[in-house]
Amino acid sequence: MSATIESPNPPPKLFTTSARRKRVNRSMEVLSTLAAGLAVAVLVIVVGSVVIKGVSALNLDFLTETPAPFGAPGGGIANSIVGTFLLVAIASVIAVPIGLLIGIHASEFARPRVSNAVRFALDILSGVPTIVTGVFIFGLLVAGHVQSGYAGSVALAIIMLPIVARSAQEVLRLVPNSLREAAVALGVARWRMVLRVVLPTAAGGLITGAVLGVARVAGETAPLLLTSSIASNAVSWNPTQALSSIPVTIFTLSESPAPADHARGWAAALVLIVGVLALSVFARSLHERSRRRLRG
Amino acid sequence: MSAAAPSATPPRGTLATVRRNIVDRIGDPSLRVLAGAASVVAVFVILLLAYKVFDGSSSAFSKFGLGFLTSKIWNPVTNQFGAASFIYGTLVSSAIAMLFAGPLSIAIALYLTELAPRRVRRPVATLVDLLAAIPSVIIGLWGILVMAPFMVNQLEPALHSVLGWIPLFGGSPSPFGLLPAALVLTIMAVPIVSAITREVFETVPSDLKEAAYALGATRWEMTRMVILPIARPGIVGASILGLGRALGEAIAVTQVIGGAVSIHASLFQPADTLASRIASQFQSASGTVYISSLFYLAAILLVISLIVNIGARLIVRRGIPAKVMN
Amino acid sequence: MKASRISALVMAIASSLVIAACGSSSSSGGSSSTGSSKTLVGAGSTLIAPLMSQWQPAYDTASGVAVTYGAIGSGGGIEQITARTVDFGASDAPLTPAQFTAAKGVVQVPWALAATVVAYHLTGVPNQLKLTGTVLADIYLGQITMWNAPQIKALNPGVNLPATKITPVYRTDGSGDTYAFTNYLSHVSPTFKSKVGNATQVSFPVGLGGKGNSGVGGVLSTTNGSIAYIAISYVLENKFDYALIQNAAGKYPVPGVPSISAAAAALTSVPANNDVSIVDPPASASGAYPISTFTYAIVPTKSSKATTLKAFLSWAITTGQADGPKLDFAPLPAKVVTADTATIAKIG
Repeated sequence: MSATIESPNPPPKLFTTSARRKRVNRSMEVLSTLAAGLAVAVLVIVVGSVVIKGVSALNLDFLTETPAPFGAPGGGIANSIVGTFLLVAIASVIAVPIGLLIGIHASEFARPRVSNAVRFALDILSGVPTIVTGVFIFGLLVAGHVQSGYAGSVALAIIMLPIVARSAQEVLRLVPNSLREAAVALGVARWRMVLRVVLPTAAGGLITGAVLGVARVAGETAPLLLTSSIASNAVSWNPTQALSSIPVTIFTLSESPAPADHARGWAAALVLIVGVLALSVFARSLHERSRRRLRG
Repeated sequence: MSAAAPSATPPRGTLATVRRNIVDRIGDPSLRVLAGAASVVAVFVILLLAYKVFDGSSSAFSKFGLGFLTSKIWNPVTNQFGAASFIYGTLVSSAIAMLFAGPLSIAIALYLTELAPRRVRRPVATLVDLLAAIPSVIIGLWGILVMAPFMVNQLEPALHSVLGWIPLFGGSPSPFGLLPAALVLTIMAVPIVSAITREVFETVPSDLKEAAYALGATRWEMTRMVILPIARPGIVGASILGLGRALGEAIAVTQVIGGAVSIHASLFQPADTLASRIASQFQSASGTVYISSLFYLAAILLVISLIVNIGARLIVRRGIPAKVMN
Repeated sequence: MKASRISALVMAIASSLVIAACGSSSSSGGSSSTGSSKTLVGAGSTLIAPLMSQWQPAYDTASGVAVTYGAIGSGGGIEQITARTVDFGASDAPLTPAQFTAAKGVVQVPWALAATVVAYHLTGVPNQLKLTGTVLADIYLGQITMWNAPQIKALNPGVNLPATKITPVYRTDGSGDTYAFTNYLSHVSPTFKSKVGNATQVSFPVGLGGKGNSGVGGVLSTTNGSIAYIAISYVLENKFDYALIQNAAGKYPVPGVPSISAAAAALTSVPANNDVSIVDPPASASGAYPISTFTYAIVPTKSSKATTLKAFLSWAITTGQADGPKLDFAPLPAKVVTADTATIAKIG
């Protein structure tokens, strides 16, 4: 791929540049570096605030106790931790298999027109604001019934699905066709070939997609606000009732005037951020490793 | 991996001679059907979502029609509702966020692709991407407890004293309003836009860049002559994707925007966006018209974000990796 | 192979979790519950939320019933009980006739008595500024915009009021406190009544919004010069400065159990639908705080949890009242308890 560049007229001197051009260049370089520095600074400020203010309220009791009554000190977010875990687990059970199957469909079975249409549909789905997803699930599962952990999980699953499915589509496409052909040539049935050859080869990337999806929905507040917010203060493993969740708890605590609530909010944010960032970093490292393996 | 062929006496490896057992005969079509069904589910979910949202808004639509879009009234006492203030709030906060996020993201992408030393590139890129992983409710928490006091005590008075003659900075300082909301949205949009922009910059052919250098261009001139023109569709697409994110953000915005139904010129004044109004009022809305009006807001929001999102994907060239687009 | 084993393991764990979750119906935390009759889910008023948070563990110990409560605002409580997504609703605002019809067979039971207090955040100014209803109405109408306005100065001679802009703060969600506050302002200011009106959710012409009593408190504490109407428990818990409002007798009673009880004592009788509004009591109640309010439980007359609900309500209006005074809830007057008992008997 080559192109010609029009030389400005008259052509610039080959080995010297005017001072003005050097100055412009330098200032642009400085601006770019500052911009990157600004982004890193904001990250450090936000995460730093969470860590510094959250650490003081964070202790083992905070993680194992349930919230204290109004005005009383102490208490914790055990119910929210369990609730978030359950909500995300059920959402994953729904979204990961479906996303995987969509990826398999696109890479193994579908004609390009069909898989493009499905990819387009997934793009649309990923562009839907999460509050609208919450309104949708409210209209579908909560109106006329009660709030429930299942409703919340379905909303989270819808948000998770495009992430998992797109990632699966991409990764499965990267599996070399030679592997597939070799298996078929040996007489292996299609379904066995997919399950025993293609999936394991792409496993790293598939897990990455699932982990990215989990990291994303673990922090989602808007859909849960409408589907699973009137929840018990006690630890509950029952998804037929509304489940407490860490993001909704942080949201409620953030709007309170009491400094004790603020401290609890920071501590809960710390718990959430540690979980989400750990998952994100894990997913990225998995992604790098699997990309290297598939391409190298 | 052996095919089940109970009485395979002919030489192995010949497809025609391999007899397929029951499991395989069921397995293949089952997988195909399951996979196809999953794809159908994806399409079905979107259609059902659109249907439910539009259906829920039908009472409000039949009562207010399209006048809902231009009415500034939001009065539960008289059951008169209109979306104009929120459409204004959504557009202004997102526009400002993109005004900040666009150049910032280009600058960051430039730094990461051209300027940064090799060793620094990976860690800084990771840090910028990690900003995208922070849940919006935590950005909102920080916005209420750290940014809002800073806004009302330092930033807004400073802006007011220097630029107060511009109506945008004319009102009196307030901790919650359009400006904090726009800043919060900027923080959320920058990682997305810069990540995609970075990928686009990396696809610019290096021989073009080298040609520019060979002709004596400085790095900035090379960027201006080579990278930016080639990457322009990608940058535009990335910005629109970031815009889509900003338009739909409900939680962090509702925490810092002040929840007022009004259209002011001043950025300091409290306001509200479509997403944030839905989030703050949905649980307590009572009465068919009120709830239906909130569904109507959701429908407007859905239409806006669909247009923006689809527009972005059409503009950005193919070949941008999926992980970046998500 | 490794990946398929991992995925199988993950699936197994996930499915066992789901099965375990389906199987168990209990919420732990001390008591074990064996079925849905041992739980009650309610939602609504943030005014009663502090008292409810005392009732929840106390009632659990007393009877083994776990009460879950979502403080989403009185408007939300009315909406949720109308839709029967909860077992009981809680609202500081009594139901309108239209809401009664829409709710298809509910009763309202006043089960606590508190007040909406006018709190403010103004540095350099002492607690307990004096205000009247008309001044308050003008503030919320945007007619009075500065703290050193002559009307406020006239009421507070000797207080050095700064030239700070007044930021009224209001509730964005459907709120019983908004109902009580706008009820009072509509009584004392005909302009307010015609311009804004009296409801759980109104369109205020000026100010900042906050969600829930908590959210409004949050806005108040961040904004110098702000004034807000907040349920009494939150004001005293967070030690906000609060205003003394002139009552019909011309006095400025401190909001608290004595002045709230005085307002309730002015109630002559309990109407058939239990709508007991006590804002702006007459001058004969000289020590009454003018923005006192009852708060109601809204309960379906027929439901699968009728027995549990009756027991809870009966406990709340008798034993439960003892938890009230430390949160500045006044005990229910005897005539209200009598009316309540009669109403509760109609349930189920």
